[in-house]
Amino acid sequence: MSTAPPGERVWEVFRQEDEGDPMIHSGNVNAPDEELAMHYARELYGRRGESHRLWIVARDAITELGDPDLLKPPLDRSHKKPGGYIIKHKLEAAKARAGAEAGE
Amino acid sequence: MSQLGPAPTELDVRAREALAELLLSVADDEFIIGFWDSEWTGIAPMLEEDVATSSIAQDEIGHARALYELLASVTDDDADRIAFGRAPGDYRHAALLNHARGDWAFSVARRWLYETADAVRLAALAGSAWEPLASLAAKMRREETYHRMHVDTWLRRLADGSPEVRARLAEALERLWPDAQEIFTPLAGEEELARHGLLPEPMRALHASWLSQVRPVLALIVPDLPAATPSIEGRTRRTDDFTWRHGQFTMVVRSDVGASW
Repeated sequence: MSTAPPGERVWEVFRQEDEGDPMIHSGNVNAPDEELAMHYARELYGRRGESHRLWIVARDAITELGDPDLLKPPLDRSHKKPGGYIIKHKLEAAKARAGAEAGE
Repeated sequence: MSQLGPAPTELDVRAREALAELLLSVADDEFIIGFWDSEWTGIAPMLEEDVATSSIAQDEIGHARALYELLASVTDDDADRIAFGRAPGDYRHAALLNHARGDWAFSVARRWLYETADAVRLAALAGSAWEPLASLAAKMRREETYHRMHVDTWLRRLADGSPEVRARLAEALERLWPDAQEIFTPLAGEEELARHGLLPEPMRALHASWLSQVRPVLALIVPDLPAATPSIEGRTRRTDDFTWRHGQFTMVVRSDVGASW
């Protein structure tokens, strides 16, 4: 992660391409204050008409969670994933049953 | 350009001349400030500011292009010819734009004076009876609003800066102040423009409106700015700085006259 030069802050920029689209992280700008951050975000991520909306967030206002013990613990997590429940066969059986009932 | 509507052909020769003079003055202002500010590309105070200033300068050249095209439709000329094919003495930008780029404070001071005056002028042009001009002015205003916000931010930053920064800003504003008035230099055809509603308000009124807006702000930075009024030759005075600038922006065109780019 880059750090800002003295007197400046890093601002993370999120871009929305069209109304309703997700806000996607696009990059960041260095700027001394919120006002210039907005201008620079506009110039770097919106000057060609490619953005519908921008969010400009001071990096130091972001609460970061990057601890692998919390996010990628060493023990098996497969029981937390939807893939842990195999329902393929149950689904096939249900379909067959429904088909048989319809055929009667 | 048939979509521009029938208005200019219905105007008599004098009214068309007056309209051409008006369009040329606004176009040249945008064109020349665009070139001066584009000199900051690569050397602005921060990388981000470099992109912002260059982009704004490019916007101004874009506005100039649209205005030259409108003018070409009135005078049956070619926009590129008007932009690049004239001698330095035939340009009609205000004396404010005769000065070389200067330092950052000088460029901020000039752009602030220019953007505030341009905003007043564009508001009037948006009410022009000639629809193509009114609609172009309305589009330009949407972009200029952002330019204005950007330069306002910088004026405040420098005004709140260290004593040296403040002094440089004040000195630049003081030096540019008389020439800034020239944006509102009366046009020869103003009566014609008023008669046909092409420019709904005379330059004199626009100047007064601009003064009432900028004076209170400037008073906080330069307490004793003298009273100043536009002069008759405000759009015809030229300087060595501008002659040099003209040589630069016509260099490529002159390298192969008549070439198709």
